[in-house]
Amino acid sequence: MTPFSRRAFATAAMASLLVGCGGHPARQTTAASGSGTTSPPYPTPVKAARPLGRSVPVRLRIPAIDVDTPVMRLGLAPDGSVRVPPVTEHDQAGWYQHSPTPGQTGPSVILGHVTVGEYGDGVFRHLARLHRGDRIVARLENGTAAAFAITAVRTVAKADFPADDVYGDVSRPELRLITCGGPRSGDGYRDNVIVFAALTSAGS
Amino acid sequence: MRRTVLSAMTLACTAVLVSTAPAFADGKTPAPRDPSSAATPAQSAEPSRGPAASPVPSQQRTRPGAATPVPKQEPTKTRDRGQVGVIPRGAPNTGVTAKSSGSDAEGQLIGGGAAAALVAGGAAVFVVRRRRATGA
Repeated sequence: MTPFSRRAFATAAMASLLVGCGGHPARQTTAASGSGTTSPPYPTPVKAARPLGRSVPVRLRIPAIDVDTPVMRLGLAPDGSVRVPPVTEHDQAGWYQHSPTPGQTGPSVILGHVTVGEYGDGVFRHLARLHRGDRIVARLENGTAAAFAITAVRTVAKADFPADDVYGDVSRPELRLITCGGPRSGDGYRDNVIVFAALTSAGS
Repeated sequence: MRRTVLSAMTLACTAVLVSTAPAFADGKTPAPRDPSSAATPAQSAEPSRGPAASPVPSQQRTRPGAATPVPKQEPTKTRDRGQVGVIPRGAPNTGVTAKSSGSDAEGQLIGGGAAAALVAGGAAVFVVRRRRATGA
């Protein structure tokens, strides 16, 4: 092998190395480490606020992850599952209309997308980054607002969705934010990310 | 001279092949087909349920059938009592992966890598030719 050939091969090897390193970006930034509870479901005693009357949520704000979005109503799909916002409305959250409105006693359920394929990121893209104590504000149709403090953030396998924890009765006004998370599975995700929060204050 | 040209071509081919390999691998991710779960026109469906969505909780509980189009098999739990009137079936499907949202950044990285490889190859060829020309 001549010195020239050696140099050519060395250059080719370097080129391969460079491109190989650049071709594998860390794109799984949202993939959670797997199923499991990132924090216990009801560990934090939040100072309870007085429940509000029924008023449909129209806007949701989560300052910690820069979410400020309109809220649509969601019902049930024909197969009995909860509807989710259409992919074209990926920047909106949806309130499950068979749950209490935010501020009423009971678990008010709000859903949003994490990603929506070709439409990009969903409104709840960074839901898993929330922590206990972070604030959530739901603005209601009657002009008032219900402020919640996060008590727990859980990532659970869809196969083991904790329906009782999410939809079960509670003794105070609470909020559930739900999106998908964890490793990608087919054209969806394996897990759900569920944020549990309790009412801390209400006002206009 | 012929050697130099051949070497340059080898470098170019290597760079192109290596840079396209990750793109092929990413292409195996599922195509962004209309996701069944998220394709439900929730918003357009809502007006038809408008009357049932009246803000009276007790009505929702006593008339669950009127509130939603519950299938005959009743896959959901309809409760007479309880804060959530109808418990949905299964887990919400609130994520569609399809095209990776980071594909743009990925493409930029691949392109950048290929460009860097080509520049490196070109520089190597230039140096070799200079050396040969000067007889070093």
